[in-house]
Amino acid sequence: MNTKLNLITLALLTSTSFSLMADGYGLANAKTDNIKYDAWNCKACAVETGTTGNVGVGIGYNSEDDINSANAFNSSNQTAGKIDADIKYRGDNGYQAKVVANNMGMDNGRMEIDVGKLGLYRLNLGYRSIATYQSNNALSPYQNIGSDNLTLADNWVTAGSSADMPMLYSSLTPFELSLKRERAGLGFEYQTESLFTTYVNFQREEKTGTKVASGSFFNQSMMLAEPVDYTTDILNAGIKLRGDNWFTSINYNGSVFSNNNQQLGFDSAFNPTFGAQSRGYMALDPDNEAHTISLMGQYNDSITSLSGRLLLGQMTQDQQLTSIGYGYSLPADSIDAKVDITGMTLKAVTKLNRAWRLTGSYDYNDRENNTQIEQWTQISINDVTGKVRYNTPYDLTTHNAKLSTDYRINHGLKLDAGYDFKRDERSNQGRETTDDNNVWARLRVNSFDMWDMWLKGSLSKRDGSEYKASESSSAEQNPLLRRYYLADRDRTQIEARFNHSPLDNLNVDFGVRYALDDYTNTQIGLTESKDTNYDINLSYMINDDMNVNTFYNHQIIKSAQSGSANLSIATWQADIEDTVDVVGAGLSYNNLMDSRLRLGLDYTYSDSDSNTQVRQGISGDYGDYFAKVHNINVYAQYQATEKMALRIDYKMEKYLDNDDANDIEPDTIWNVMSFGNLQHDYTAHMIMLNVNYSL
Amino acid sequence: MKTTHSINTLFLALLCLTASTLFMSSHVQAAKWDASMTPAEVEATLDKKFAEGKYSPKGADTCLMCHKKSEKVMDLFKGAHGAIDSSKSPMAGLQCEACHGPLGSHNRGGKEPMITFGPTSTLAADKQNSVCMSCHLDDKRVAWDSSHHANADVACASCHSIHAEHDPVLSKQTEVEVCTTCHTRQKADMNKRTSHPMKWNQMTCSDCHNPHGSLSDSDLVQPTVNETCYSCHAEKRGPKLWEHAPVTENCVNCHNPHGSVNDAMLKTRAPQLCQQCHASDNHTSNAYLGNTDMGSTVNGNAFTGGRSCLNCHSQVHGSNHPSGKLLQR
Repeated sequence: MNTKLNLITLALLTSTSFSLMADGYGLANAKTDNIKYDAWNCKACAVETGTTGNVGVGIGYNSEDDINSANAFNSSNQTAGKIDADIKYRGDNGYQAKVVANNMGMDNGRMEIDVGKLGLYRLNLGYRSIATYQSNNALSPYQNIGSDNLTLADNWVTAGSSADMPMLYSSLTPFELSLKRERAGLGFEYQTESLFTTYVNFQREEKTGTKVASGSFFNQSMMLAEPVDYTTDILNAGIKLRGDNWFTSINYNGSVFSNNNQQLGFDSAFNPTFGAQSRGYMALDPDNEAHTISLMGQYNDSITSLSGRLLLGQMTQDQQLTSIGYGYSLPADSIDAKVDITGMTLKAVTKLNRAWRLTGSYDYNDRENNTQIEQWTQISINDVTGKVRYNTPYDLTTHNAKLSTDYRINHGLKLDAGYDFKRDERSNQGRETTDDNNVWARLRVNSFDMWDMWLKGSLSKRDGSEYKASESSSAEQNPLLRRYYLADRDRTQIEARFNHSPLDNLNVDFGVRYALDDYTNTQIGLTESKDTNYDINLSYMINDDMNVNTFYNHQIIKSAQSGSANLSIATWQADIEDTVDVVGAGLSYNNLMDSRLRLGLDYTYSDSDSNTQVRQGISGDYGDYFAKVHNINVYAQYQATEKMALRIDYKMEKYLDNDDANDIEPDTIWNVMSFGNLQHDYTAHMIMLNVNYSL
Repeated sequence: MKTTHSINTLFLALLCLTASTLFMSSHVQAAKWDASMTPAEVEATLDKKFAEGKYSPKGADTCLMCHKKSEKVMDLFKGAHGAIDSSKSPMAGLQCEACHGPLGSHNRGGKEPMITFGPTSTLAADKQNSVCMSCHLDDKRVAWDSSHHANADVACASCHSIHAEHDPVLSKQTEVEVCTTCHTRQKADMNKRTSHPMKWNQMTCSDCHNPHGSLSDSDLVQPTVNETCYSCHAEKRGPKLWEHAPVTENCVNCHNPHGSVNDAMLKTRAPQLCQQCHASDNHTSNAYLGNTDMGSTVNGNAFTGGRSCLNCHSQVHGSNHPSGKLLQR
């Protein structure tokens, strides 16, 4: 007893002085002089070589025709098969290989293959696919959907109004709005025994599909299926060096994007207006490149940690300009766009003593657009266009400085406070400089897993240089307009979170947050936004085998904005109220039937609702705009034999969304030819069977 | 009214917080020594033991004399930290004591503290993490010390399992679930009308954020918000001939990448979003009332119906057409 007390007393006395020398138990500081490694044979270290893991196959059936259900069910096909694998090979002398595959064969699948020698080299092959589905019921009279040339039927008869187009309904065909990405990557890393590591990673992504765009002539517009056929190559390479308490690396990051379609041509469905054009061309996203070189470093002596990055980059774009249908001379065949990026970041953390820490950082980022300014004649589409315009390349420089401190009052009580400063300097915009000053404080109380609570508050103020409402704008703006991302703004935020475990097997978590953005000098534009949010989460371990959890989240975002129909003080107001409720519950029951059976249930319900009201003497609203989604997944996993497990999943999605503004037929709006109503209302079911085999 | 209610709730919360600091006394005992020692005593003892460096006579073999019965202890050998044939593995160096610190007199009854890890350890997170960080000093953790998680006293072992064949947090199938146990607001966001596809694990949090901290705001994986977005949306990078200033400046001026009640993750729907910045002497200044008693309907005209402003100004992310100033082509 005495010995122990003495040891502790001595330790307490010496620890302060020791910790100033080196705080922590880093290996570099370990005192290993007295070790006699000859006797350290690790005889009991039980490392097994060979192949372990499991492979699985699955087959699923989706009853639903609405393709939106494929987002949740991971397949747009009625039946879908998949392969899962988690296989590891461990050989002698550190050679190893790993194959991890999830949902291969489904719309969202992944696979990683790693081969190498531990601590020496590693070769990595990767594959990933992501698909997102919007609708398989978009309606369009255009032919050649998916191509860069949308044409109407030869016998198409134009009209002044979509409702008067005689061929419209007979020409409509449904098509799919969806996007699919497929990525494949190859990486190699080589390490030496000591300081040096080098790596190179290459990834190619193909993105294909169709998305919505609009083509217009004067005041007439047609929804268009924009083809997506992109290829993006990414190459990263670098050299890393490290010592006991420092690290540095030099890295190259290159990205080359190419779009297989340069422009989208389309026939006008309407009678010709200004300029008598019957065909239009839209420039699609141009091929571009971005290259960055960065130097990164860190120094850490356990008391102070310094890290930083220097970055030089360039984004370029030299795609030949679309001239079909333009009719004017081009000042250049391509704009030879160049944006230079310069970045510098420094972060420092130091421990003044065991309880008190100081953190500071400075970040500088400069985007300088060096694209040549030229004059470009604009096509005359109405009585106000057809003028010569100059392109306005935007520059942006940001400075971000932060200083904070945290002080541990006692073991369970910690106070953090900080000051953040952000300055944005920009060209060719209504306000050249904005400054954001933010102070914040947080008190955290914790008693291990019994209680963990914190309360955080922050106040920020944004102001800046003189606001010139019409600067560089294409039209004269209301002088009282303050664009919300440039406007003076006072932001108040308060947030609290409580986590309590009254019992070993029960955890209750509750959080609340309130944020108010007050645009103090805005008469026209966004004037106020309030965001109130609370959530509660419960997790209860009924016994060793049964676990229940549930959560509920409620959020209301209210925004107010004003406008003026006469370029003066506000004549109208808009109030927007977004309400979100999300409820979830999960239940798992393990080790049934002699530990062979596992049952589970997951359920979520979300209701996103937005309500817009506009008042100008009379009041109007934007009608229903909500999405209500129920998802259920019930599963049972049965260990049929020692090696083989069977799993069955039943998934259900009940999906209902709407938007009164888009509750339209192709000809509902006289001067818009639309895709029709793309809303969803379905209850979809999926059954999936899996067989998993342990190696 | 709602504001008053919120303030009242927060006031009550603050009271509870203050009160609970006074009444809290019970500590969960995570290890044998926690019964008789305060966390400060444990830490002081560990500091002293570490400085003295009294390592065991036979390394792991000494430790396993008592601990080999534990399946969890032996599971170490299934993962990288238990590899005996790599010079970079702890097993090639100080073995168990590389992480758990020098044995000292711990083998005499097990009452003398060793360095323990995870959320139930009474040892301060930064002390636990100093062990891990002494090897894991690399480009992915270059800003760990100033990261959100380090500041919130998250121990490496709160998320990672070392004594296991599989570290669940490294599985893309479970990553979002792990992150959203704390980040509950983002859990709600990904269930909103539109969000990045995280609800079904097509995307995961680490596609955009580095949980170990980065040199960028919000611990983003790229230097800026826009460069993070461009890493998947390279088509928006341009630079295009006609840039849309707020788009060039910051994607989150208009979008909430975690999710929104609006289509396309927009903070506000069109035309209101557009009218928060455009109020010129033409159609952008007008009040678009939507459905009224006077007979107008929200789906009855091109200013509010269909794609609203985007019916004509489709190229909101910028245009590369010589005649694209108004972002129409």
